[in-house]
Amino acid sequence: MSEMITFTIDGRKVRAKKGETILNVARREGIYIPTMCYLEKTTPSASCRLCVVQAEGIDGMVLSCQTPPTEGLAVVTNNDVLEEERTNIMRLYDVNHPLECGVCDKSGACDLQNKTLEFGVASQHFTAKEQLRKIEHWGMINYDPNLCIMCEKCTHVCNEVVGDDAIELKFGGYKSTIIPKNSERLNCTFCGECIAVCPVGALVSSDFQYKANAWELERIPSTCAHCSAGCALEYEVKTSGAAKPGEERIFRVTNNFEYASLCGAGRFGFDFDLRGDKDGKAFVKAVEAIKNAGAIRFSSILSNEEALMLQRLKEQTGVKLFNEDARQYKAFVDAFGSTADGNAELATLDELKASDGIIVIGTRVATDNPMTRYALTTAARHKGAKVVYMHPLEDTLMQNVVTQFVKYEVGTEEGVMAMLAQALLAGRETNKTTEAFLEGLDDGYLSAESNVGEEELAKVAKQFVRAKAKTLVLGGDLFAHPRAENIAKLAGLLARFGGFRVVIVPREVNTVGASLICALDADDGDNAGVVGYNADGDFVIAADMEADLTVAPLNQQEGTVVSMDRRLLPLNVAVGYGGYVLNDLANALGIGKRYTVDFTPELPAEAGFKAVTFDALENFYSSTGEDRRGYRLEKVKRPAAAQCEAVEDLPEFNGTVVYHCDPVLQFNALTARASQLEKDAELRGSEQFAVAARLKDGDLVVIGSGESARERRFRIDASLKGTIALEPTFDRGITVRRGTYRYEKVNIMKASNDE
Amino acid sequence: MSKVLFSTWKSEQINNIGKPEDTWEESVYTLPMQYNEHSEAKAFIGWDGVALYDADVDVVRLATEYAAQYQVYSEACGRCAPGRWGGRILYDLLDKIARGEGSLSDMDHLKEVARNMQLTSKCEIGKTVPNPLLDLMTHFEAEFLACIDEQKPSKHYHAEVGYIAKITAPCTDACPAHVDIPAYIEGVRDLRFDDSLMATRQTMPLAHTCGRVCPHPCETECRRANLDEPIAIMELKRLGADYETDHGFGFFHPAEQKPSTGKKVAIVGAGPAGLTTAYYLALEGVHCDVYEELPVLGGEVTVGVPEYRMPWDKYEKDIEAVKDLGVNFILNTRVTAEMMRRFETDYDAVMIASGTRISKKVYCDNERFEITGYWGAIDFLDRVNLYVKFGIPLTEAQKKEYAIDSDFVDLTGKTVVCVGGGFTSMDVVRCSVRAGAKRVIMLYRRDEKTIIRNTTYEEYHEAVEEGVEFIFHSAVQKMNDENDVLKSLTVDKFELVPDPDGGRPQLVKIEGASFDIECDYLIPAVSQSADLKFVPEEWELEMTSWNTLKTNGKDYMTSRKGIFASGDCEYGPMTIVNAVGQAKRAASVMARYVMNGEITLSDDEIMEDQLRKMRVYDKQEKVTGWLPGLPRQKSEVVDVDIRKMNNMEVNFGFTQEQAISEAERCMRCYYIAMVAH
Repeated sequence: MSEMITFTIDGRKVRAKKGETILNVARREGIYIPTMCYLEKTTPSASCRLCVVQAEGIDGMVLSCQTPPTEGLAVVTNNDVLEEERTNIMRLYDVNHPLECGVCDKSGACDLQNKTLEFGVASQHFTAKEQLRKIEHWGMINYDPNLCIMCEKCTHVCNEVVGDDAIELKFGGYKSTIIPKNSERLNCTFCGECIAVCPVGALVSSDFQYKANAWELERIPSTCAHCSAGCALEYEVKTSGAAKPGEERIFRVTNNFEYASLCGAGRFGFDFDLRGDKDGKAFVKAVEAIKNAGAIRFSSILSNEEALMLQRLKEQTGVKLFNEDARQYKAFVDAFGSTADGNAELATLDELKASDGIIVIGTRVATDNPMTRYALTTAARHKGAKVVYMHPLEDTLMQNVVTQFVKYEVGTEEGVMAMLAQALLAGRETNKTTEAFLEGLDDGYLSAESNVGEEELAKVAKQFVRAKAKTLVLGGDLFAHPRAENIAKLAGLLARFGGFRVVIVPREVNTVGASLICALDADDGDNAGVVGYNADGDFVIAADMEADLTVAPLNQQEGTVVSMDRRLLPLNVAVGYGGYVLNDLANALGIGKRYTVDFTPELPAEAGFKAVTFDALENFYSSTGEDRRGYRLEKVKRPAAAQCEAVEDLPEFNGTVVYHCDPVLQFNALTARASQLEKDAELRGSEQFAVAARLKDGDLVVIGSGESARERRFRIDASLKGTIALEPTFDRGITVRRGTYRYEKVNIMKASNDE
Repeated sequence: MSKVLFSTWKSEQINNIGKPEDTWEESVYTLPMQYNEHSEAKAFIGWDGVALYDADVDVVRLATEYAAQYQVYSEACGRCAPGRWGGRILYDLLDKIARGEGSLSDMDHLKEVARNMQLTSKCEIGKTVPNPLLDLMTHFEAEFLACIDEQKPSKHYHAEVGYIAKITAPCTDACPAHVDIPAYIEGVRDLRFDDSLMATRQTMPLAHTCGRVCPHPCETECRRANLDEPIAIMELKRLGADYETDHGFGFFHPAEQKPSTGKKVAIVGAGPAGLTTAYYLALEGVHCDVYEELPVLGGEVTVGVPEYRMPWDKYEKDIEAVKDLGVNFILNTRVTAEMMRRFETDYDAVMIASGTRISKKVYCDNERFEITGYWGAIDFLDRVNLYVKFGIPLTEAQKKEYAIDSDFVDLTGKTVVCVGGGFTSMDVVRCSVRAGAKRVIMLYRRDEKTIIRNTTYEEYHEAVEEGVEFIFHSAVQKMNDENDVLKSLTVDKFELVPDPDGGRPQLVKIEGASFDIECDYLIPAVSQSADLKFVPEEWELEMTSWNTLKTNGKDYMTSRKGIFASGDCEYGPMTIVNAVGQAKRAASVMARYVMNGEITLSDDEIMEDQLRKMRVYDKQEKVTGWLPGLPRQKSEVVDVDIRKMNNMEVNFGFTQEQAISEAERCMRCYYIAMVAH
């Protein structure tokens, strides 16, 4: 099946792999074929017809974007006849296209402009009746059907890559238009991928519209700071035109949409940058605080270089380092590796996309990590992946991806993983210890406590009968579980004997980096003598104007982070910050360097880092889609082999339970600050939850008691079922302690000041 | 042959204009001559030319209207640049000329746009719409130029002229249910599986089923075959259905169900025809009560088609889609003549869809029902499937009748001989293998080629793989029994003797070549007939010579007003898709009938029948603009040693990648046909 096909394009001998089209090969070979509707990451919509080519012995014109070549074919990509018809197509595209390039956002970066010039269409050659159509305002997105060329890139990306499937083509010939699917107004996760892929100015950001011309913006390539996926993005900053010096700001974020994607938090949540000057007094206090500190508690929203500074500080002064998020992640990954043995190498998101049998467990993945969700969507659509989603809460966002939802009781993750191992390893060759271990499981008890039935597990196994690339996706509910290590070890068995690759979804942008660089201490939660770095403490240094010392956030610093794919990625300064950075403190403490990024080549080789300087790091996708950002970390030696512990009593969670889970587009204090992102900080529960907790829609409630008590508005959410409510954490700033199990038994009282 | 004044259809050049009628040259094609139920057409215009039947036709307006129809069509499309804008320009410019405002440059622009559409459009509709327009502009140039020169409207521009258009495709035309095949394949190609399923369900509610067990006549008339191999049309239907089922969505119905009309219909039989009638009537807001004799729904597809070919959990989903519309099913109820009389007064219409459930005899000597071991195919398959799919065991009486000791059809150690050659006989022999028979033999009068043609290549080869012995050119001469227990069969051998006069070769018995086969069972699966004893005699319903209910094959009403018939009891034992097609049409007629008491066909349905008569597919046509040599995808089947032991579905279906590759081979051969009055 993997045989190569040899053929010629414009006389040049070329080879095609199975599944490649003529256009793919031409592009790979650097041979130009014009397109208007082709998008590499989706199936071709085959609508523009510009990519027609001729082939020897074939009458008519063949569409290169969807035609695989045959052996010995002689393709001609350009001649007078093709040029003539392509020009005619461009003439058609230009019929009644509004002449408003002067104010159109896309002008200067518009495919229609480019191709019109390329084919020399200088006037309107054909005429048709003008149709005046209304511009649609869909919140963060505006749609102007008059500008739309119906390339269908937006609908394809929404359905095939993102999974929202929120827009569709309204068939109407000349009157065709894009409309929200099954809804009057656009109802989606506002990732903005549709805007990114739009080749003209039809779909635009309502915030950005009319603010700047493409050519006025400086583009600063960097990495998104909001989750662990490490998406490439470009901050577009205005440094010319009407802006005065010092007034530079980020106008928008764009990305290489041809090969990569962004969620809405990355695309719209960019203005978390700060303005400020050096506050010398606060700085002195901070230096003192660190000198006197027993521990530094830090969040994983920091660069590798900053993590290394903290580690050096520890090495020098013996100060403890607290970061439960990274510590638990590391413990989990290590425990997984201890039983996965030779199969411990974690899978990447690209590998997840290519999977055809997937189990997701312990994460509300659509909001926890949108790129993992997009990878699942891609796998489901393109590979027909069977996706088993195991969680106490169903997620309607995942319905068109998930083929089986398995609900388990809160707290029983260990039992569920054990039963999963038992069901999926049945009949497979393991070893004596594993056999004995699986044999010894009390499946009756586990099934009763977790509420996962034998037939459900049998169905899981049945779904994967034909699967050739199986992947297990493990989420944050598991790392912070009291039995996290054993859960990870059980997952290791599936990797070692079950033919599963494993993706472990870290929470923060640099959970992985922090876990690799710092020797972390267990956090007892006490604030006394603790300096917080973007975290809680009795002295707080943070990218926050309210902190005891304000420092630069990640879009105002150089540095690197490590993504969930174990790729080191560069961060760049979108706009300058006049205040301090951690390196200034490090210098005051005698361990600093001239620049933060002077630490980059010193990142620990034993953890897989390379001795590469920051300036030597690349940061782009090649023209054939190769990811040339930073570098992949080297594989490192795994911990010694270990065995699973017996699965004993499973905990019970009765009463009122909330699940800490942020709404779409929200992740942390930085997204909470972004002006365009919706800040839905309500407690959301099902009708059933409302009845059980005796709450009405709109009630103001107090959740928990003592220090952790917080007031929220309660909303009934029709998309939810069951007795667990969703409580966000993004709005709690740095006081949120990562590392606690995401489900919490709480008291919920109606607030006394509720009217 | 059609009588025409002028025709360029399929490049014929007939021009009888100005000639006396008795000297007219006729078109060799069966062109659509009817306009609607009340009148004849004056012109026909389509993808491959134009035909005028009357001198009074305004050709400029005809061209304009055809371009306008493309605009109407593209209301359902508009998915490529040349088609979307080009089609609009064609219409705008033609209309400009027709209303007397055109200029000579418009004619040039028309030709330019037409060529661009012909060469680069996404589907055949965009590629072919310009064809008849260019024909008219060439052959009737003077009439176009007159409008331009004199700046006056064409002769009937302001007159009321009727035009009826229909979109079709070779595959859609060939499908008895006229499924919009290019649309559901496009849904797969676009990874919009919900759209794919809704396209299928417009005319075919049983998507899981006809994605598996349809003999796919569409594939025989797939235009891709002119290039390399036909598209695997049937299997691609499964993707939409699986998407709905796998993700636990509600049902993607093709349209919103209309509010109740207060009308109700009784349907006899819950097989494919009954289910289809109920589905489309329910969508129209008509209440349906479906009466079923068996304890289970689904008719022959349930009790006839084995689990390994048509898993019940999939068929059940198709049936649930019908239930979802509020259709009421009454099981375990054998309809009687008395009930039928009552139905006629209690309901607004009645559909008879009772199938053909009597196995015909093989017509051999000593063929007696009393002989143990003589077992009709329908009954045999009922027993097998009711147990396999629903766990319904044999009764004591049945055990005795079939000489079986266990609760299910266990043929361990037994020899089974089946006489047949069609799908039913294949089901019998393959079920016998799975029931543990020691030896399974199929006797068939004709040869291997014919059995493949009558069933499918896959079906035959899978049966051979599983160990069924096929004896061709053979027939049972006599059943040999001992005390009414079957012991052996005497079988005659035949040979094909060519007719010296060049006619069809004749089967001639080879004397002295007869032989005996020891066996325990003879299962006749030659054909089935309809059991219509429940139809009141005094109704005197007209019957066909095959003893099935007679209708005109268009509106599916029997000789008695308000009593309709569809499926096998109307046509004789035929395919699922045939039953669905008939029932879909009947439901459409019935939905109108229950409201106004009239039996009518819609304009669209008349055109559908005319086009089928003409045939949309042209085997001789040369395909351009597509690269030949892209192989048809083949889906994986379960290994023979595994499958013959159990009832696991044999065909895994396509992987997603195979399905997408296959869908990309589809050339979207949509065409527009239009008649003018």
